Amino acid sequence: MDYDVLVVGGGTAGMESALTLGDMGYSVVLAEREPTIGGKMILLSKVFPTLDCASCIATPKMASTFHHPQVNTMVYTEVNNIAKTARGSFQVQLKRKATYVNSDQCTGCQKCELACTVAVPDQFNFDLVARRAVYIPFAQAVPKKAVMERHGISPCSQACPAGVKAHGYVSLIRSGLFDEAQELILEAIPFPATLGRVCYAPCERACTRGELEGVLPIRKLKRFAADHYYQKHPQAKPAAVENKHSERVAVIGAGPAGLTAAYHLARRGYPVTVFEAEEKPGGMLRLIPPFRLPPEVLERDIANVTALGVEIRAGERVADPVELKKQGFQAVFLACGTAKDKKPEMEGADLKGVTGAIQFLRRAAASAKPSLAGKTVLVAGGGRYGIALDCARTARRLGAQRVVLQFGRSRPELASVEWAISDAIEEGITIEFHKAPAKLIGKDGKLVQVESQDVQAGKRDPSGRTLPGLPAETKSAMAADLAIMALGQEADPKNEREGLRLTKSGTLSVNAQTLETRLPGVFAGGDLVSGPGSVVEAIGTGTRAAECIDRFLRGEPQTPKERGLNLPGVDKQIAIGRQEQYTLAPAAERTKRPVEERRDGFAEVELGFDEKTARQNASRCIDCGGCCECHQCVSACPADAIDFGMRDEDQTLEVGSVVVSTGFDLFDPVGKVQYGYGRLPNVITAMQMDRLLSPTRPYNSVLRPSDGKIPDNIAYILCTGSRDCQIGNELCSRVCCMYSIKQAQLIMGALPIADVTIYYIDIRAFGKGFEEFYQQSGDMGVEFIKGKVGRVEPTDDGNMILHYEDIAGGGKLAQAEHDLVVLSVGMLPNQDALSLFSGGELAADAHHYVKEIDEDHSPARTSIEGVYVAGSSAAAMDIPDTILHSGAAAAQAAAYVERVKK
Amino acid sequence: MSDRRIGVYICYCGGNISDYVDCDRVRDAIEHDEGVVVAKTTMFACSDAAQQEIIDDIKEQKLDAMVVASCSPTLHLFTFRGVAERAKLNPYLYVQVNLREQCSWAHTDVPALATDKAVYMVKAGIAKARLTVPLDKTRIDTVPRSLVIGAGISGLRAALGLSDLGISVFVAEKTEKIGGWVADMGRMYPHDRRGNELIADLVEEVQKRDNIQIYTQAELAEKSGSVGDFNVKLNVKCELIPLNVGSIIVTTGFHSYQPADGEFAYGAEGVLTLPEFKQLLDQCEDELSYQGKAVSKVSYIYCVGSRDASGAEGANAYCSRYCCNAAMHASSVAHDLSPKLHQFHLYRDTRSYGKYELLYQKARRQGALFIKFNADAPPQVEKSNGGFRILVKDVLTYGEELDIDSDLIVLVTAMEPRPNQALNDIIKVPLGLDGFFKEIHPKLRPVETVIDGVFIAGAAQAPRNSAESVASALAATAKSAALLKKGYVELEPLIAEVDPDACSWCDQCVASCPYSAISKKNFGEKEIAEINAAVCKGCGCCVPDCPQGALGVKGYTDGQIKAMIDAMEVANG
Repeated sequence: MDYDVLVVGGGTAGMESALTLGDMGYSVVLAEREPTIGGKMILLSKVFPTLDCASCIATPKMASTFHHPQVNTMVYTEVNNIAKTARGSFQVQLKRKATYVNSDQCTGCQKCELACTVAVPDQFNFDLVARRAVYIPFAQAVPKKAVMERHGISPCSQACPAGVKAHGYVSLIRSGLFDEAQELILEAIPFPATLGRVCYAPCERACTRGELEGVLPIRKLKRFAADHYYQKHPQAKPAAVENKHSERVAVIGAGPAGLTAAYHLARRGYPVTVFEAEEKPGGMLRLIPPFRLPPEVLERDIANVTALGVEIRAGERVADPVELKKQGFQAVFLACGTAKDKKPEMEGADLKGVTGAIQFLRRAAASAKPSLAGKTVLVAGGGRYGIALDCARTARRLGAQRVVLQFGRSRPELASVEWAISDAIEEGITIEFHKAPAKLIGKDGKLVQVESQDVQAGKRDPSGRTLPGLPAETKSAMAADLAIMALGQEADPKNEREGLRLTKSGTLSVNAQTLETRLPGVFAGGDLVSGPGSVVEAIGTGTRAAECIDRFLRGEPQTPKERGLNLPGVDKQIAIGRQEQYTLAPAAERTKRPVEERRDGFAEVELGFDEKTARQNASRCIDCGGCCECHQCVSACPADAIDFGMRDEDQTLEVGSVVVSTGFDLFDPVGKVQYGYGRLPNVITAMQMDRLLSPTRPYNSVLRPSDGKIPDNIAYILCTGSRDCQIGNELCSRVCCMYSIKQAQLIMGALPIADVTIYYIDIRAFGKGFEEFYQQSGDMGVEFIKGKVGRVEPTDDGNMILHYEDIAGGGKLAQAEHDLVVLSVGMLPNQDALSLFSGGELAADAHHYVKEIDEDHSPARTSIEGVYVAGSSAAAMDIPDTILHSGAAAAQAAAYVERVKK
Repeated sequence: MSDRRIGVYICYCGGNISDYVDCDRVRDAIEHDEGVVVAKTTMFACSDAAQQEIIDDIKEQKLDAMVVASCSPTLHLFTFRGVAERAKLNPYLYVQVNLREQCSWAHTDVPALATDKAVYMVKAGIAKARLTVPLDKTRIDTVPRSLVIGAGISGLRAALGLSDLGISVFVAEKTEKIGGWVADMGRMYPHDRRGNELIADLVEEVQKRDNIQIYTQAELAEKSGSVGDFNVKLNVKCELIPLNVGSIIVTTGFHSYQPADGEFAYGAEGVLTLPEFKQLLDQCEDELSYQGKAVSKVSYIYCVGSRDASGAEGANAYCSRYCCNAAMHASSVAHDLSPKLHQFHLYRDTRSYGKYELLYQKARRQGALFIKFNADAPPQVEKSNGGFRILVKDVLTYGEELDIDSDLIVLVTAMEPRPNQALNDIIKVPLGLDGFFKEIHPKLRPVETVIDGVFIAGAAQAPRNSAESVASALAATAKSAALLKKGYVELEPLIAEVDPDACSWCDQCVASCPYSAISKKNFGEKEIAEINAAVCKGCGCCVPDCPQGALGVKGYTDGQIKAMIDAMEVANG
């Protein structure tokens, strides 16, 4: 056996059982699912009837439990299953939950907490205030070690093909840490400002807030971070990257994939040279028109790469990658894209006045821009990445009188975002859906007319995109001076070499896992491999290529590994369900330059956020994953204890006996609608009041929540959730009368002028010293009113009117006004305990508490021999009774261990 | 100059101290005191992280004494001694200064002066720390045997529990009958089992054990020795039986309140106490009858002998806890006997706490009427044609005067502490204000007493029902076993010491010692006093009584106390 006894739950009962058994000499493992032991008692202000400070008497118990030589305390540990063995012992399956903080290294200094940018309701303060996603539960926590709350990867971060931690930078922006946001983005990509403008933003599609009133403008937040940073730092700071490696890497093609690969390889310490056939680096990004991506913005992003010492040799076409290897490059990354228009198979395609989209955009990007004044332009084709729209809008800006875009599919398929279409329409572009040119008619070898036909919607391919349909009967014709054919791209066959043959679709095939071509040491990625795709996907493959090349150069196996330290994604509905409450606040309207200003120029259309708007928008994030991976804790931790690679670990133990001390749940008074909890801010639970009164109180005073007023007329409603068949709990909760009286006495001390009224059915001051304590509170001036409160209604100033039957005052229906109402909520069974056991059910009583099968002779004994229940898992009970009950459990568990050992 | 290396830690106690005492100013005032090497403030000195910090300081700074200025030593003396031990520092080189109870809480109105006082107190603590010497605990081997006093349900269950763990048990029962109150209770709540059967089951099990011996008509006559190794003598039917035991569990139960003659007509035929009524119920077979006459109306008057806030001599201010539930359960038993019975419960608050609420519900469903009276308007009972007439103002019907006829009146009587002066004189466990045995701490240490090795359980500690008494008996069992299974105990070394040169054996100290810890021994030519380390509690009563000044208490030497006073005087200018 690994241990004599397993104790499940480290509250008062669990600690007492473990300590008693440990003192008797038995070895004990104590499993607690929270990050600290202490249970609910440590959260109380003082305890009745002695008015001992709860922290002061619980902390030594926590410390002695944790330091007891016979007790192994495992916090943040769930018991998954317990099964009895043939010889009477128990096989226990534990889950040690990942804390993401190395507890041996953590010193409890709380610097991570101060740095963390995610605030969540503090369950240890019953949601009165917030805590951080990485946190130490409270000052007296034992052990005092931080844990990180991670539910998984947030949908936005998970959706990013380039591995940008979207949740992280949103959270940093919300916290005003703009530079840190930019730095976090730069961890993943060198192109923040570019992606902040032109990314199709899969993060936003994934955003959970979309299930509510609308997604966060995540893309524009990234743009904000980048713009804000670039304004402060117009030049990229030359980064002192240590050239750790001598192996040189060549990248062919300075597009997003190539530059990203160069960026990451340089960061890893490789000398990198990028060869670019065009005059300027940027690849397809260069062809995005300035009104969407100003060239200086792209330049600044590219400077992030060159600042690392990456050499870009523009205007240098590489004839043969193998040649580069001979020149001493140990690895080559081919990322020369699909920079060539596919030639349409259409009558008249060779006419003058017919051009490909890339060709058109390249000419438009040149310093001497062509003029289309007075011309009629047809743009044909389109697709998600918006090249047709770019052509149409550029043609308009070059002076074209009429621009018609014909697109063979439906409106949603023309662009990844609807506003890309409406922006174009605003600028006077005519868009014809389900229509495509069939024939280009020329005169004197020059285009004059386009004949088009309607296209029926075809079937959907597996990705949901409709396939081009059959031509319909309807035909039409229009006069045109220029036809821009955005009908697809392919790789330049000039790049073909032996071993690098293009496929029929015009792309290069590589080993999907390693990105290696058939030539050793030659890798390929980006559009060249995938066909025309989005910028962000190209960047993603650049990152992957850098990883593959790094492994190749270091001679490591190319084992597929999950990207980084990612957890599984978070379920959106669970993320929403976790919110106690949220305010619906729609995203800021998208702001753009007025249409009259933009028709004739190339100025950027979409406008960025100012600081305030950025923070407001970022603040709408509901932190789906818990931790946002902003990594502030990593830099803040002086002990280097943060470890995102930690994972839950399963552990199996054999123990001789089990003590179940899983404690109780508190009644959630939201279910008692007439008392207004959750609706009226100044109706709180007694547990919240205990926090307000405790020495580690969150507001350092007793204040009411709505306005911070010091209350002076406080009401207690006893039996909220107890003795109440309406809410399904007919039992008395035993402690509420007394804790309410205790709080009343403490309030008398803390707020000497406050009146306290307790509305009760019966005052159940039954234990040792309780009646005397009750009498004392009456002497102190606490008012007791016999009568159950029927309902609570608000007044205009945040007060509440209580409607009650004044039984002792003649039985009339009465009202009383109070400025704070405390609901003395009852105890309910924690039913988790019942599902711990397999192969022999742990019986429950009629009220779902763990059943004591022989309470008269052997309290704490359960339906499974060798399993004992301690404390409020068996019934509502106060601390002294819990201590006695735990002693009973410990004595019998010890006796059982003696029998099993024999 | 002191060559000591002292660490001083001043605790905020999360505001309990720092709200009134400027802890940083205190630290600044003492950090250059002689011998002080480390001086720090901390949010919660008792927290795990702070403890670790102190341990690190002790090791790194090679501290040889430490002072924590925090709360009362009753709370954390052992905590910080443990810290010292974990850092391999003798725990008696630790001094606690009680800034919270003795300073911050006492002077909430004058923070500036409270801070001055705190400075003096900490300086005094440092002065004491300079004169600390390492002390070693006294180790006593324990005897794996226990004495249980009282063979009621608590005593019997405790005996079985100890036996299960391999500890031999002697049970001493004063009367000739085993089973105490429970044996006579008939059907009992909460599980409606018969008391005599519960006892019979336990007795049957006891008889199977060869390590349990029960003595009836046995009383404790003498007790000497100390924790882990008591020598007791039982007076069993006038014969003294010596026993050597390691622990004693007192389960002497309760005394049922006996109403005064005429109290609610008590003394008249037809007015019964609750235990009397339960015995009556147990005797009735087919219907509820009293003295051969069928009963058709019963009234219960609650809180007789309990919850009397008058302050009168002998009045019990406490609530007796078990009686509401017992009366409601009795009401159901009576209903089972005579379903047409009219039952009236005259109560103040129904205290059917927790799951016992179901007893209350059941009684009401069976037709029992509950009538609430105020403490200042108790029911009036008069005899009337063969029965009784009760006049009571019912709060629930807004003060209506009710006039109730009853054949039988049940006084729901209190549990009182059992008068047991002879035992108390020997066992020396203090009593609380309510007369029940007093535990060390009512919340967290309910079965331990200030007499090490002596435990209390069941209704001897506080009113409670049978099942709760059994739980407490088992808790006492566990604590007792924790003491005995280890095989030894360690005792505090902070006890009296004799200066053999100064002592001239005048025997005055013998009379002043409340624990009989001092005896005479030969020392060279002369006779001097000797302290029994296992018995001495370090109370210090002997010290001022010694005409020669030959006695002192370790850890509280005259030199230390004088140094503390001097330090305060210096600080105060």
